[in-house]
Amino acid sequence: MTNSLPTHIAIAGAGLLGRLLAWHLLHAGCKVSLFEAGSFQPDTPQTNRAAAFTAAGMIAPLSEAVVSDANVFRMGQYALEKWPQWLAHLKTTSPLFFQNGSLVVAHPQDISELDQFESELDFVIPECKTFQRVNRQQISELEPDISSHFQQGLFLAEEGHLDNRELLAILGDEIIQLGVELFENNSVETSPYKIITENKEYTFDTVIDCRGLGAKSPQLNLRGVRGETLHVETKEIQLRRPVRLMHPRYQLYIVPKPNNRFIIGATQIESEDRSPVSLQSTLELSSALYTLSPAFAEARIIEMDSNLRPAYMDNLPRVKIQNGLITANGLFRHGYLLAPAVVENVLAHIFEKPEIVFNELLNN
Amino acid sequence: MSYTPTLPAKDFILYGETFSSRFLLGTALYASPRLMRDSITQSRAEIVTLGLRRQNPADRSGDAIWQFIQESGRRLLPNTAGCKSVKEAVTLAEMSREIFDTDWIKLEVVGDDYNLQPDPFGLVEASDILIKKGFKVLPYCTDDLILCKRLVDVGCEVLMPWGAPIGTGQGLLNRYNLRTLRERIKDIPMIIDAGLGAPSQAAEAMEMGFDGILLNTAVAKAHNPPLMAEAFADAVDAGRKAYKAGLMQKRQTASPSTPTIGQPFWHQ
Repeated sequence: MTNSLPTHIAIAGAGLLGRLLAWHLLHAGCKVSLFEAGSFQPDTPQTNRAAAFTAAGMIAPLSEAVVSDANVFRMGQYALEKWPQWLAHLKTTSPLFFQNGSLVVAHPQDISELDQFESELDFVIPECKTFQRVNRQQISELEPDISSHFQQGLFLAEEGHLDNRELLAILGDEIIQLGVELFENNSVETSPYKIITENKEYTFDTVIDCRGLGAKSPQLNLRGVRGETLHVETKEIQLRRPVRLMHPRYQLYIVPKPNNRFIIGATQIESEDRSPVSLQSTLELSSALYTLSPAFAEARIIEMDSNLRPAYMDNLPRVKIQNGLITANGLFRHGYLLAPAVVENVLAHIFEKPEIVFNELLNN
Repeated sequence: MSYTPTLPAKDFILYGETFSSRFLLGTALYASPRLMRDSITQSRAEIVTLGLRRQNPADRSGDAIWQFIQESGRRLLPNTAGCKSVKEAVTLAEMSREIFDTDWIKLEVVGDDYNLQPDPFGLVEASDILIKKGFKVLPYCTDDLILCKRLVDVGCEVLMPWGAPIGTGQGLLNRYNLRTLRERIKDIPMIIDAGLGAPSQAAEAMEMGFDGILLNTAVAKAHNPPLMAEAFADAVDAGRKAYKAGLMQKRQTASPSTPTIGQPFWHQ
């Protein structure tokens, strides 16, 4: 880093990380130029929309620790603390963050999946005791609308979820109001101090590359992992919290969204295929919904989305620090869960703070 | 010192190729590709299987992960997991041959969606078609003797009967059937594929004289997959050695190996 702190910063990628970083940097008085390969506020699924638009926006450190490791749990705990603090500074009255816990259930014949989940939790995060077994009665008290054939479940009291698309839109509006210099539909390459577009080269005090899969190159070992979701709408069912359905071959979650909407997701397929949702996946996703509550049968499918999660081969995020270039990538299926840790880490490097959060996890 | 093994110590030969490891590992379900590769290393496996049904293989959309698996240096054994009809399985096998440049195929034809039980009728039909097209078919089958004989009849030179349904970790559910298979089909290498949950179960199958073990879930879903891979590799080795050494026969009554003092052994 140079002796004077950077004042004009370029960000490549206007997904979740790009928006959050732009928002923080503009508030800190920096001039920010933001480059986005697609459109800045995409309404419909499109091939180069950031993974953050497809995500369901869960902040589920325990559930995600089960499929990753204790570091994801620790960064997730940090997210539960950070999101409410950050959101308090947004100029909006709509509630964006909900912390009502989450519920994990399995069909009676798949009950061993719950045991496996619990044993993973005990193994990965033995210090964490904020979950409890719930029986049929307790399940129906928590979520009266879900089917009574679920006899057992786990209640993870501290987990939360975000209205993530609203959040992305509001962040987008605010950074425009704060005077970001926006270049949309502009695919770029990055190098120290430089953003290179098809026909021009721009120089900055520093560059932050958070292009997700847009940064894929033979040297990076970054890959895309396909995920598919359905968005449905129904007034017949209300859920207060995300519900995760355990099954021997897939784990799916249903996340309630405002206006009687629900997202059911997500498949996880080791493929960089960006084509629309497959019939097989719609069967899996919709039958999970239907078994959770037959009342979902008359829900309307309002969107099917597929996208690629950017991931390194260990499925863990990295922040790479060079003079003039910071690269933050690989948040995989944990975008909203890990973004606070990654963003605060990047900001600490930029502003040369004495303490850098999650330095040992993100910057090795 | 020298000794003569009581049982013939045949090499592990599959379609004319000799392998030193009798443990084959699947590449699905790991928390990350890195963990999968570390598990492959610890397993000492020389053959790893991979499925491509849902990866849009026609567009080569799985290239990133396939290449990562290929970098393990192991022989790739593509499988047709997820195929429910003969036609699907044959099409996917042909695509796999093109992508991975191998005529080996682990053939799966799913008969039941819930427990992924093989469809024996479809399996024989698909094996027949693929062998005529020049494939070397390793069929994932149940432990039914007649099915296994039919698979051999159409030209399968390896059989892969289940221990239990995929992913159940139940171990060897039908020892009678498995013993019958081993006794009746002596000259075809048989690999116990699927259903094993613990290394002791793998060792038991090897002690029974099966030629190899293929599994995935028991390693991938362990808290520490690379360590579990090593545990299975050791168990497969131990079971094989025990088979070669010849297990003692069980007796009806206990018999101390050292005569009790004061009781001459001829009175026992």
